[in-house]
Amino acid sequence: MKGMTIIVKTIASWVKVLIVLFGIYIILFGHLTPGGGFAGGVILASSYVLLMLAFGREFVQKDLPLALDSKLDCLGAFMFALIAILGMVFGGIFFVNFLQKYLPGKPLNLISAGTIPLSNIAIGLKVGASLFLVIFLLSTFRRDTSANR
Amino acid sequence: MPYALCFLLFMLGLYCAVVKKNMVKIVIGIMVMEYAVNLFLIMLGYRSGGTAPIIDRGQLEAGMGQFISSSVDPLPQALVLTAIVISLGSLALMISICVRTYEKYGTFDITQIRRLKG
Repeated sequence: MKGMTIIVKTIASWVKVLIVLFGIYIILFGHLTPGGGFAGGVILASSYVLLMLAFGREFVQKDLPLALDSKLDCLGAFMFALIAILGMVFGGIFFVNFLQKYLPGKPLNLISAGTIPLSNIAIGLKVGASLFLVIFLLSTFRRDTSANR
Repeated sequence: MPYALCFLLFMLGLYCAVVKKNMVKIVIGIMVMEYAVNLFLIMLGYRSGGTAPIIDRGQLEAGMGQFISSSVDPLPQALVLTAIVISLGSLALMISICVRTYEKYGTFDITQIRRLKG
């Protein structure tokens, strides 16, 4: 049987939903409360690391293939660059907050910071995907070694 | 005094990175040095008895003057957050170099890693 015992598997499959939800909350409310793209992305990656520890590597690879993970990684970086360049197009300055004019919002509301939540989402995608990729690849290194010897 | 302790922590990391022969211990020493620098930067922005630089609704309605006079400096914290991200990336790079080296030589001892072959 791959992975850990049935107890760990059951608990992990319940808890993973909560962890993903908490990560999304940290990302979306990054401009209001402590946290943000990086912290939320780390939490999202840690949910998949939990799945990898409990169910084994093959299960996670079926759920989130490396190609898709790499695409999400690139999508995050691309979104972040796009937001910056759109700032240059609409506001004249790199990274200018061009949405703030059209969507003023009240302070401390969810929609109040213009492009900052969008940037947070991009950073969260980037960090979550690439951190999971790093941990996954570091864990496959060792298996390659043992297979070569 | 806290700055001196911070310097001591940095020196501890430097000692570990320079003297030890195990590659993993060198990586740990480098990370201790990075965290010492992060701690120093955080302490530069500290104010004794200060509050966290997070505005909630009550403070916003009461006016910003009291918040500004009581909160710590948020700029070093943002800087250190970026530094932590970069140190995470460099840590992953160092660890993967260690893994690859161990794969090739079968040891972490840097005095025995001498063959410069491709």
